[in-house]
Amino acid sequence: MENDGKSAIFEKTREPFTFDRLRGFTECMPHEKLHLPLLFEQIMQRHEREIMRYLLRVSGNRDDAADLSQETWLRAYRAYPRLQPESDVRPWLYAIAINLCRNRARDGARRARVIVGDNEGNTVGRHHRFLDENEGYAAVHMREMIADLPTKQREALHLRYFAGLDYAEIAGAMGGSEESARANVSQAMKKLKAMW
Amino acid sequence: MKIETFLSSIGNEFADEAVEELLHRCRSRVDRVLKRIRRPEAAVGVVKSPLGDLLVAMSARGIVLNHYLHDAGDLAATIGKLRLVFDPVEDQRAVKGVGEEVRRYLAGDAKALRQSVDLTLVAHSFQKKVLHKLQAVPRGAVVSYRGLGAAVGAADSARAVGNALHDNPVPIYVPCHRVISSDGRIGGYGGGAARKLQLLRSEGFELDKSAARIPDSVVWGHRGTKVYCRSNCRTTARGDRVQILFFADPREAEQAGMRPCKICRPA
Repeated sequence: MENDGKSAIFEKTREPFTFDRLRGFTECMPHEKLHLPLLFEQIMQRHEREIMRYLLRVSGNRDDAADLSQETWLRAYRAYPRLQPESDVRPWLYAIAINLCRNRARDGARRARVIVGDNEGNTVGRHHRFLDENEGYAAVHMREMIADLPTKQREALHLRYFAGLDYAEIAGAMGGSEESARANVSQAMKKLKAMW
Repeated sequence: MKIETFLSSIGNEFADEAVEELLHRCRSRVDRVLKRIRRPEAAVGVVKSPLGDLLVAMSARGIVLNHYLHDAGDLAATIGKLRLVFDPVEDQRAVKGVGEEVRRYLAGDAKALRQSVDLTLVAHSFQKKVLHKLQAVPRGAVVSYRGLGAAVGAADSARAVGNALHDNPVPIYVPCHRVISSDGRIGGYGGGAARKLQLLRSEGFELDKSAARIPDSVVWGHRGTKVYCRSNCRTTARGDRVQILFFADPREAEQAGMRPCKICRPA
C-alpha cells in the first residue's frame, strides 16, 4: 500500500527541479517556487489502493466496495478545485468516502425493507479464507456489534482500525476536534469490550 | 486475542490480487466517466518581462491568464480561481513565448502580441462583452470607462465596466490599460499605476513617471463620424463625449480609419 503519511497536494508536477526555474523569480518573490497542486491522476494513483481496502473492510462486500470507490473518486474529482492547497489529501478523501458510506447505509436500510435476501457468497465471513471457522464467525459477530454502534463512534472506529488514521486525521475527516475523535473511538472500544 | 488486534484483522482477508482486480474494474469505470466531465488542462508557468514577473496560463484556445506577480498570497488565490475551470499543469516551455512577446511589445513592436485570447475565466456575460469590445480599442488610443460602457450599450455603467476591468484575467493582451477616467485622469490599474504609465508610454503617449492626466496633445476621434479633432476644437464641446477615443497623435487616428476635422485641422 502506498501510504506516505502526510501528503500536501502542493508538490512539484511534471518538470524536474532546476535552478533555472528558481531564477525566474525576482526579488518580489524570492523563495517561492511555482507550487501547483498535484494532478488528480497522481492523487488517485497514490491513494486508490488504500481507499479501496478501507471500503472493502467497511462494507465487507466487493460489489459495494467497487461502487463506493468509483463514486468516491468521481466526487473527489468534482470537489478537487475547492480543496485548499495546503490541506491534507488523506482525511479529505476519507471524508468523501465516509459520507458515501453513510448515504449507502441509509439507502440500504430503505431498500432492505423491499428486497429480501442477500447476494450469496459475496459477504465476508462466508467464503473468504480464515485461520479457522471460529474466527470467521467471530468476525461476523464483531461486524454486527460494530454496526450497532452510534454513527459517529462507528465511523471513528472504522477510520482508526480499518484505515489506520491518527486522531488528527480522523478529526480532519469527520470534522470536530482531535479530542472528540479520541473520545468517539474510546467510547466505541468500551462498548465492544463490554459485549465481547 | 486482544480485541484491538482482532479489529485490525477484520476484512484483511482480501487477497492483494482481489484488490487489484477490483481496482482495475473501478479505474476503467472512473476513466470512462472522467472523460466526459474532465476540466481542460492549462499549461502554467512564470515568465519574466519588463513589467515584472508574470504568471501565465495557456489553454488549447489561447492565453487564459496573465497575472502580475507582486505578492505570493495573490498567487495562491489566482491559481485557486484557475483550478475551478482548468486542471493546471506546470509547463514553462508552453508559456515562454508570452514573456518574449511582452518584451517586444514594450520595445515598440506593435504586432508583437500574437497569442489568441481565451476569456473562459470571465464568468459574467457583461464582463465578457466589455473585454471583447475593449480588444477593439487600437494601440495608441485610450477610451474612458463611460465610453467603453457606451460601446456595450450601457453608458451609465462606468462602475460595472471598472469591475469588469478589475477582474480582467489577461491584462496586456486584453488592453485594460487603455481605459482612463472621463476627465482625462489616468486612473488605477491592477498591476499598479506605474505599469499602466509604462504601457501607455510604449504605445506612444507622452507621459512622464508622475503624470496624472493624459497630455493635451491627444486628438479626439469620434467613433461615429470617424472624424478626429484637437481637444480644443469647438466641435468637441458639443459632441457626444461617450463616442470619443483619445489618440496619442494624428497618425494613430489615421491608422484607425479616421479623417482630420476640417475646422481645427489637427493633421
